Amino acid sequence: MFRRTISLLTALMIVLWAVCPALAGGGAGPPKNFRKGEFLSVDEASGTAVFRPSGSEETITVYLGKLKPEEVELKRKVMVTFQRQHGRQVIKSISVMFMDMTLKKILALVIIGLVGGMLSGFIGSGGAFVLTPSMMSLGAPGAVAVASNMCHKFPKAMVGAYKRYKYGQADVKLGLVMATSAIVGVQIGIKVQKFILQKWGNAGSNLYVSLAFVVILVIVGGYVFWDAWRLAKGGAEVKTTKLALALQRIKIPPMMEFKRAGVRLSAWVTIPVGLATGMLAATIAVGGFIGGPGMIYVLGASALVASATELVIAFVMGLWGSIQWGLSGLIDIRLTLLILAGSLFGVQLGALGTTYVKDYMIKVVMGAVMLIVAVSRGAKVPIYLEDLGAISPLAASTKALLNQVSFWALVTALGTAGVIITAAMVKGMLKARAERKEMLRKGAVSHG
Amino acid sequence: MAQKKKPYLQAVVFGIISVLSYVFLFSRQELVTDYYSRGGAYTVLPVATALYFSFIHGAFASSVLAVLGLEAKK
Repeated sequence: MFRRTISLLTALMIVLWAVCPALAGGGAGPPKNFRKGEFLSVDEASGTAVFRPSGSEETITVYLGKLKPEEVELKRKVMVTFQRQHGRQVIKSISVMFMDMTLKKILALVIIGLVGGMLSGFIGSGGAFVLTPSMMSLGAPGAVAVASNMCHKFPKAMVGAYKRYKYGQADVKLGLVMATSAIVGVQIGIKVQKFILQKWGNAGSNLYVSLAFVVILVIVGGYVFWDAWRLAKGGAEVKTTKLALALQRIKIPPMMEFKRAGVRLSAWVTIPVGLATGMLAATIAVGGFIGGPGMIYVLGASALVASATELVIAFVMGLWGSIQWGLSGLIDIRLTLLILAGSLFGVQLGALGTTYVKDYMIKVVMGAVMLIVAVSRGAKVPIYLEDLGAISPLAASTKALLNQVSFWALVTALGTAGVIITAAMVKGMLKARAERKEMLRKGAVSHG
Repeated sequence: MAQKKKPYLQAVVFGIISVLSYVFLFSRQELVTDYYSRGGAYTVLPVATALYFSFIHGAFASSVLAVLGLEAKK
């Protein structure tokens, strides 16, 4: 049965691979409206520059448009977007692909990687929400930040999933089923996203994405947090939700047995949850946050198993996404490796931490992070409303403040998670040590 | 109860390999970033490198945590 499922999944992956190679990964996949290359010279008098696209010996002359000549860096690999004006190729934007590394940037990447890794090892996801904006604030172009983060996600998730499999927590079969259906969901999500973009334009799409992100994160994160709070007070016991119990009663074949998760479900229940995760990942980039609670409250897995299985999903989705972003040549391997330097420690620390805590601690961290991340995105809603012309223009200082609030809320989310996980882990370890000593003492007394 | 032996040697060996690998790649930054971002078949470079580091640096991290006494609850 297990072998048959694996072969089915592999066949599905191969078909998807052949049919839609460009559609996968986190968000809507790599952008296509840019060219990579380097500028060879700038002519101030005619307002033009000579550009050589990567992999080509030929050069093209392009117009600077609104750019000043000193804004064009020569002999550096850049990503350029163009627009056609009166038949001319005019530069719209230039980003240096590979930022200069300084000791401060290296340390920042390693530390963020360490805490981000700890969070993923503990709740199965997270890290990306703060890593991508952090890399951008250090000077990486958005697409390079997303690609480099994606390429760090799959090896980190692989190490985390392996550790948690060894601890008896990860359900590999559930993870593979969820990941494969999520990849299909990503493609549906991209279509939805394109429809929204066509209908409401860029500003409308930004607003829709942010509002949906905030609403979903507040509802799901709030519910997870409330559930954790109830359990933490000690007045309640961990129970499978009524929804999960009802879904487990559906016996439409093919049925799937998930031994580690301890559930037997119809594929008609499991696959839609994966599809929804993928769709949300593509449209509003909350895939990882939804997969965990989805497995807990809809499928009926424990928080421990769901968070471990989420790492299996992250590995498959991350590998798939890395190949897509790699094909576009957008990965800055230096960023990937510096984050990995910290996150490979963090993910193993987070994973071993789960063996010392009660199930609800995972829900506490999951809920808290989701709620703080919602605040971060919520802070940007007024900016998108202004872009749409729905509110009167904001002062530049207000905009800067909202952007700062948004960024620091992310850092706070990561910091809070780091503190909660460390505290819970230290408490658990001290308790385990005390119990071991007590056992040894009792053993010595009974033998003595 | 016998105390489990700590993997000092493993930590040192994987640590040296990991540091050398980082130094090797970062001392050739320009060449590396150029080849690794060519797209197409060159995609294999970043993906394989990330996997290589996950094994080497992952094993180093695992043994360092074990040396520090940070291990999963039995």
